[in-house]
Amino acid sequence: MRGATAMIVAAGVVALGLVPVLAPPFYANLLIPFFGYAIALLGFNLLFGYTGLLSFGHAMFLGLGAYGAAVMAGENGIKSFEVVLLGVALAGALVALPIGLLCVRFIGIFFGMLTLAFGMLTHAILFKFYHLTGGDSGMRVPRMNILGLEFQAYNKIELLAGPFYYYCLGLLVLCGLVMWRIVHSPFGLHLRALSNNAQKAEYLGVRVYQFRLAAFVISAIYGAIGGAILGFRIGLADPEIVHWTHSGHLVFMTVLGGFSSFLGPIAGALALTLLQDQLQSITPYWRFILGAVLAAVVIFLPRGLAGIAGTGAALAKRRAAA
Amino acid sequence: MRLSRRRVLKSLAATGAAAASPGVFMPALAQTGPLKIGILAPRTGIAASAGISGLAATEWAVEKFNAGGGIAGRKIQLVVEEETSPKDTIERFQKLVQQEKVECVMGIVSTGVGLALGPVVEEARALTIYWDGTTQDGVDEKLLNPKYLFRSTDNECEAVMSSLLAIKHWKGQFKRIAGINPDYSYGRNNMAAFIALLKRFDIEHEVVTEQWPKVGTMELTSHVAALKAANPDLIFSSLLFADLPVFMKQAHAADLTKGTKLVFPAAGWQHTLMKKDFTPEGMIFGHNTLYFDNPQATPMQKEFVAWYAEKQKDYPNWEADRAYFAIASYKEAVEKASKAKSGQWPGVDDVIGAMHGLSVESLGGKGGWRKDNIADQTFVQGFSTHNNKYDFVTLDPAKIETMYSADLQKPPGAKFWDWLKTAQFKI
Repeated sequence: MRGATAMIVAAGVVALGLVPVLAPPFYANLLIPFFGYAIALLGFNLLFGYTGLLSFGHAMFLGLGAYGAAVMAGENGIKSFEVVLLGVALAGALVALPIGLLCVRFIGIFFGMLTLAFGMLTHAILFKFYHLTGGDSGMRVPRMNILGLEFQAYNKIELLAGPFYYYCLGLLVLCGLVMWRIVHSPFGLHLRALSNNAQKAEYLGVRVYQFRLAAFVISAIYGAIGGAILGFRIGLADPEIVHWTHSGHLVFMTVLGGFSSFLGPIAGALALTLLQDQLQSITPYWRFILGAVLAAVVIFLPRGLAGIAGTGAALAKRRAAA
Repeated sequence: MRLSRRRVLKSLAATGAAAASPGVFMPALAQTGPLKIGILAPRTGIAASAGISGLAATEWAVEKFNAGGGIAGRKIQLVVEEETSPKDTIERFQKLVQQEKVECVMGIVSTGVGLALGPVVEEARALTIYWDGTTQDGVDEKLLNPKYLFRSTDNECEAVMSSLLAIKHWKGQFKRIAGINPDYSYGRNNMAAFIALLKRFDIEHEVVTEQWPKVGTMELTSHVAALKAANPDLIFSSLLFADLPVFMKQAHAADLTKGTKLVFPAAGWQHTLMKKDFTPEGMIFGHNTLYFDNPQATPMQKEFVAWYAEKQKDYPNWEADRAYFAIASYKEAVEKASKAKSGQWPGVDDVIGAMHGLSVESLGGKGGWRKDNIADQTFVQGFSTHNNKYDFVTLDPAKIETMYSADLQKPPGAKFWDWLKTAQFKI
């Protein structure tokens, strides 16, 4: 990791670590979904930002994580969140493999539409199979142990705002480091090469289909982990988590933060979580404002929030050189 | 002091440990100053008509209560947040409890949100009163024996009442029945309750089609065509969102409303949109716990309806009654508990204890709380008529039926479907 990026990451981790101490407790709770989304978006951006495949059905993997947690912990009594995370990650990979085998044969709008179709198919299954999935009422995700500790002295809100907050922060750092290694490995370079010019990359020996499939599976694993965090936090897995609008939410966060940057989607998740919280308290028409923000970002900040930081750093460097 | 890496890490670990300690995040219970009450209500989207009605009734109640000194001497201050998806509504709830430090949360219209929020309410130990939004499915699993959560009457009350009215008035006049109900647990349970009661009363019937449109969808052409093709004698529908008037228009255009008996237990949610142009007379029309034009209305209901019509240029639906009942019963319970503590502000357990067995006069009639935290309320239904001063249908004054929920909902601990088979109904 380069010096400047490492500094930004370290400052970010310290700042996030201080939230439960310095900010009102509500904000620690509010940031739990941010951690879930940030992890999911690390994977999503491997597919979108690095591989050039924009999925409109990625929420199905978050749903897989949430429903997986409900089945493992709720139906089968597995109390360890780490075991649940491993389970949903494995399930994510297993489900993503056949879907990816079909979808990554296509690019552009065709890939987007196929993933959308699989996402909505998943939604229909979850919604219609009442006896299996609870239909619109969903499935309960019970409280689980973290690191083998039950934290019985804590009620759920205290658990979320305290130990679980730090657990998720640690998980985000870990997933971030793994993803950093992935995108800066030869595999990551191959993905960028095939994203820029797949034909040329193939001519140079890049196994385009296999690499796209691998990126798809890895992104699904990240999505499932993020979904399990969301499920733990809400205490429920319901069909809306896989709805296409939720997939759109992931795209929104990524575009807002900037998909051309490693940290961009994380910044987007944080910005949207905080922005939505403020807007929801101000007006019931907050969605209009979010829509306007998205339009403004696409028109005026095509590189997202990370682009502003990048431009600022470049300007400072130029001035220093002058 | 020299800052070494080890010292910084130790400090961070210490602050983290302090933050992670239990009790650090417990909201302080303010006992002076304004009494903050949190409201979670949908103000946009398919359930907006319910949220707006409920919110207006709450504001009306607060205006009146504050003019009379508030609740146990404390003026009420409302903090309103939006009810949306389960995930977002849980965040709003936590904001009300943790950030705004409200002493009671009221609201919730959606069944799905209600089920998701229930366990969070219990974990937060925050007194919460649902206006609506509960059903049979998932309740035992997700909301079993709640302490802090007070729930509305079971949603199937209106379906039970409509079914009983259909049996009472139309027995022997229909055989081929059809259903068009929203595709979620509420719609499915309503239809299932209707069929269960037909069986219970040995009504010979044949289900010719069951249509399950997606909740809130406005594209109902294929469903109307399927109903028309099935040629039913009776249609049972618990459509209740903005899709209801759309369906009625299309059904009218397809001549489906002529000569077909219609049973609509939840139509009252959209009553002012059920225009005479396309809504027939003689249908069983449910207004749930508030019928705005009830000739037997109390002076309080008349005063509220007049205020609402003046302010909103509209007429309230039953969510107004649910909301008023929630805040009026909370006021009654706090004051009762306060009196028992010689005027001291009561704790949440005292208020919960005072809620049980409480009875208040709500906008639509008498209401009370059972010991299992379930509401009992007064339900109003009847037959639609065009003979009124409005451009929408109302109830024929000669055929208005009123029932108390004690006769419409299962007793504490009973299973709904078992209870339907054995209950003694007054029809």
